[in-house]
Amino acid sequence: MRMRLKAAAAAVLCLHCLGVYLFTRGFLLTRTELSAFSLPSDLLQAQAPCCSDLPSTTDQDLPGWTPPTVERVLILIVDALRFDFVAPSSLFQKKQKWMDRLSSLQHLASTHPSSSRIFKAIADPPTTSLQRLKALTTGGLPTFIDVGNSFAAPAIQEDNWIHQLVHTGRRVVMMGDDTWTQLFPHHFNHSYPYPSFNVKDLHTVDNGVAQHLVPWLHRQDWDVLIGHFLGVDHAGHIFGVDSQPMVQKLEQINAILQNVTDIMNSQKHLENTMLIVMGDHAQTLNGDHGGGTSEEVETCLFAWMPRSLPSSISSIFHPSTCGLGLNGKNICTSTMQQLDFAVSISALLGIPFPFGSIGRVNPELYALSPGSWDRQWLPASFYEDPSSDLKTWKNNYAHVLCINSWQVKRYIDSYSATSVMGFPSDDLHYITKLYNEAQSRWSDSKNSSCKPENGTIDEFSDFLLSFATLARSAWTEFDMKLMGVGLGIFIISIIFHLFVFERVHSLSNVYDNKTQKSSNHLQIYVAFLLVAVRAVSFLSNSYILAEGRVANFLLATTAIGSIRSSLVYGKIKKHDLVFLILIILIRFGIEKGMSKQAATNPFLNYDSGSDFDLKWLPSLFEGHDFVTLLPEISPMIILFLLSFLSCKYITCTVHSRYIKWVVTVGTMLSYLFIATFWLSERSFAPKMVYVIGLSLFVLNFVLRYLGILEKGETVQRLRSLALVMVSAWSPTILILLGKQGPFVVLVCIIAGWSIISSKNKGLLDDCKMDPISVMQWSLLAICLFYQTGHWCTFDGLRYGAAFIGFDEFKVVRQAILLFVDTFGISHILPIFSLPFLVTIPNSSSSKGRDKTVIFLNLTQVYLLYGLITAITTTFTVLCVAIQRRHLMVWGLFAPKYVFDAIGLLLTDVLICVSALYYC
Amino acid sequence: MRKAEIGATTALALHSLCAAGLATGYWLSHSLYSSSLITDPAPTLRILTVCEAPVVILLFSWLRRDHDRCSFIKAVARGLIGLPIGALINAFGTIVLGAPVGLKFWPATIYWSMLMSLFTFVPAACVFGASKLDWQQILSYSKPSNIVDYMLSVPAHGAIIGAWLGAWPMPLDWERPWQEWPICVTYGAIAGHLIGMLFSPVLIFLHRRHIRTKTE
Repeated sequence: MRMRLKAAAAAVLCLHCLGVYLFTRGFLLTRTELSAFSLPSDLLQAQAPCCSDLPSTTDQDLPGWTPPTVERVLILIVDALRFDFVAPSSLFQKKQKWMDRLSSLQHLASTHPSSSRIFKAIADPPTTSLQRLKALTTGGLPTFIDVGNSFAAPAIQEDNWIHQLVHTGRRVVMMGDDTWTQLFPHHFNHSYPYPSFNVKDLHTVDNGVAQHLVPWLHRQDWDVLIGHFLGVDHAGHIFGVDSQPMVQKLEQINAILQNVTDIMNSQKHLENTMLIVMGDHAQTLNGDHGGGTSEEVETCLFAWMPRSLPSSISSIFHPSTCGLGLNGKNICTSTMQQLDFAVSISALLGIPFPFGSIGRVNPELYALSPGSWDRQWLPASFYEDPSSDLKTWKNNYAHVLCINSWQVKRYIDSYSATSVMGFPSDDLHYITKLYNEAQSRWSDSKNSSCKPENGTIDEFSDFLLSFATLARSAWTEFDMKLMGVGLGIFIISIIFHLFVFERVHSLSNVYDNKTQKSSNHLQIYVAFLLVAVRAVSFLSNSYILAEGRVANFLLATTAIGSIRSSLVYGKIKKHDLVFLILIILIRFGIEKGMSKQAATNPFLNYDSGSDFDLKWLPSLFEGHDFVTLLPEISPMIILFLLSFLSCKYITCTVHSRYIKWVVTVGTMLSYLFIATFWLSERSFAPKMVYVIGLSLFVLNFVLRYLGILEKGETVQRLRSLALVMVSAWSPTILILLGKQGPFVVLVCIIAGWSIISSKNKGLLDDCKMDPISVMQWSLLAICLFYQTGHWCTFDGLRYGAAFIGFDEFKVVRQAILLFVDTFGISHILPIFSLPFLVTIPNSSSSKGRDKTVIFLNLTQVYLLYGLITAITTTFTVLCVAIQRRHLMVWGLFAPKYVFDAIGLLLTDVLICVSALYYC
Repeated sequence: MRKAEIGATTALALHSLCAAGLATGYWLSHSLYSSSLITDPAPTLRILTVCEAPVVILLFSWLRRDHDRCSFIKAVARGLIGLPIGALINAFGTIVLGAPVGLKFWPATIYWSMLMSLFTFVPAACVFGASKLDWQQILSYSKPSNIVDYMLSVPAHGAIIGAWLGAWPMPLDWERPWQEWPICVTYGAIAGHLIGMLFSPVLIFLHRRHIRTKTE
């Protein structure tokens, strides 16, 4: 029997590992961030094939890899700019009221067809501003999880063209959305950030940009100017696209753009400046974005050069869709990938291409720059050749593409060498073959002195586009097959789990007197009904946000049900009422956590004002706001109480004299160190707490295997084992939770006591497993997770806890502390204390109980607890799979999946450890 | 007197009176004060409570258990005392389940718990008084010997289950006005109560037939 729990737990753990691994491979696209940066000297040092005949005019201190082709770039980003905001309405089936509002751009496009262009820019999902800005600057495909060095700060760690600009001494000015200053905290010469958080504010950011933009256009001390308008995005979020505020907003933007183009036309120093007006992503008619539908990804990019360009540019422009503009002239548009933006802008400005960029220099955008028509790469002998403009341009472009391909190949090689999950090897072979062919053709054409023509350009393009496709499939597409197999394994594991549980259950019924069978069955059904309610609730994003409250609601329901049955079988007991009051306290804690979350989570529309405007009520009443009342004293008092309680309980439960002594002293010392830490902030104290906790934990296992803890009756032995285990863990968890810790742990202890004492109403044998109690235990664990100020997104991690006792940052150490803080109170403590559910009621009936029966019950409790966690997690997985195209999939469902998957694996591991330790 | 010997039809009639009380309250609030539950919940709940209270207390006092020892007036008094007590219990229960406790919700919560008290606690208080055994019996359904037991427990449980189910739409992000506390919970409770009132005569009918077949 003892073997059974171990074997079952191990089997379930393996199944879950496999399921989580497969599902994660299919669902959570991961990409490793490489920390390498491109350097100007790379091209010379690496013997790149393209630089064999660097132009003789180039001096060694050329800042980039290619000569700059424009002097300045003015980038105006209009957040959530739809393609149909800019393109002429004649391209669409029906003219809507939001179309043709940016008439200044259309006017430019129709009157200067050879120096301006409207592009349909295809963004890659996730179409959220942060991810898009990252993609636009690094030239990569940011995924949900970018495995990198950054722990909390959103600042971009990868190579990007802003960094390259700063590195090569260019001056960058930024105005608008403050996301830019978060991403690039130290890069801008001047920045005018405005808060982007308040969605209801349509004007602050735009007016701010408009106010600073014009003065800066008259100045000459900048090279790149970025203006980021947010009004269109916010108007979409609040009113939708088909609304009057949106039209007004577009007209305001149009007026600003008109002003800008007028200034650019009149100012001499802006003659060589490229104007780029672009969206970071688009939006649906409701103003939503984040997913991958065509409405969300089809944004726009408009480029214009005040200087006139050779007319042969028209042959470079792709044959494209054209429509009549407002003034009756034809306007043509092309399509480009937003992925290409970073490398194209680097080529225009003549800076090294960002290391991780996987785009291709866009030929049409490149052609719009006057410098690309200069004879930059041709040998001197060629100067006399009256070659056409077009030929020169193609030569230049082929050179740029060669360098571009070399850079992407370099990235592929170093990514495959270092990343966690590389690319499939077949595809890599194919890509390498393409690259080698293109390069050999390039060197052939060099040697045979016939100038590179379309063929080479096509081959390089082919290589770059193939790799972009491969990268997209690896980083942006779900693998439905793997997801399905993962989900299938989850379901198989549940069936297996149920089967084992049923076997153990029927076995335990053999030992029992049959009379209670029906009552116990009813309780199992009730427990599973509660699990089902909770599990189904994950289908809605609202319930995921309100998960803590839902768990609390269900816990309260069980408590009220238990009061009802106490009424039926006798009178209400003290612990029932205590439990209800505790639930209220926990609830206030959860709501406080939610109001904290609402401050950072745009999806959570939680009206915190209604509940926490409790001026009439001293804050004594709400959860851990205890702390504000008596900031120093109350945690200390509770800590003292806790140490007293644990001391008393250890001395009267643990029978072995030495163990009793060691554990008591260890616990007392830990509490003393915690108090010292809170009073003096000395960092040695937490370290001591961790050391004591770890050594007690190890000691437990050693003693367990030496057989020292084996004395006494089974029930007593189990109880003292569990107590020693819990006392080893609780001081560490308590100090990590901070000053709310003592209160939360006290709540945890009292709630546990209430659950244990209220269980098994109407059952004769009070040591039998009660499914409702196990369910309550699991609900309580979830409530405690939320009550301690955690929630299921990555900004819900309490990063401060990772630095208790340590000042400097080391990934592994801090990650462990953060892990213990996040899952300590909700997983580690509840699972290790599960044996109390079978051993605490120390009534006379339990005295003569058979050892086998007790272990059967313990096995049942652990199996049921694991089953409850497994079922809810499986439903999370299912809901994530169903909602994979949901707007909030990256904001909400994916983090929830990550937390639940980790929680499930942790639960399985802890159950295995418990099986080893207790059985 | 007829000691609780009422049939299914009588029960249905009595229940319809209770329902009529509710309907009157709703109509009054709608026509006289032009307020609905969604626009201003607290006044509407107050009117509902005021209309329902006399109906419930008088009806169930008439059905009181111990006719010999307890006068009609005494039963009414029991009901009147039971109203605030039941309201307290209901309010406590709903706060445990997560109802907001902010000051601006107080009036609505108070009137809502009064109404719930009328659905659940007051009828039993009128009928049983403080008899512990009867209370236990009605909670456990152990011996549904009496027809009044059905009349008390089925609508009361209906109201509570309805209110519990009515709370589920509240966290959804539909941003409808009726998702506010206590509107949808009230709708749930009233719906559950009405269903319970429809259902209890059916149970009474089945019960009587069961007894009749037994005796035959």
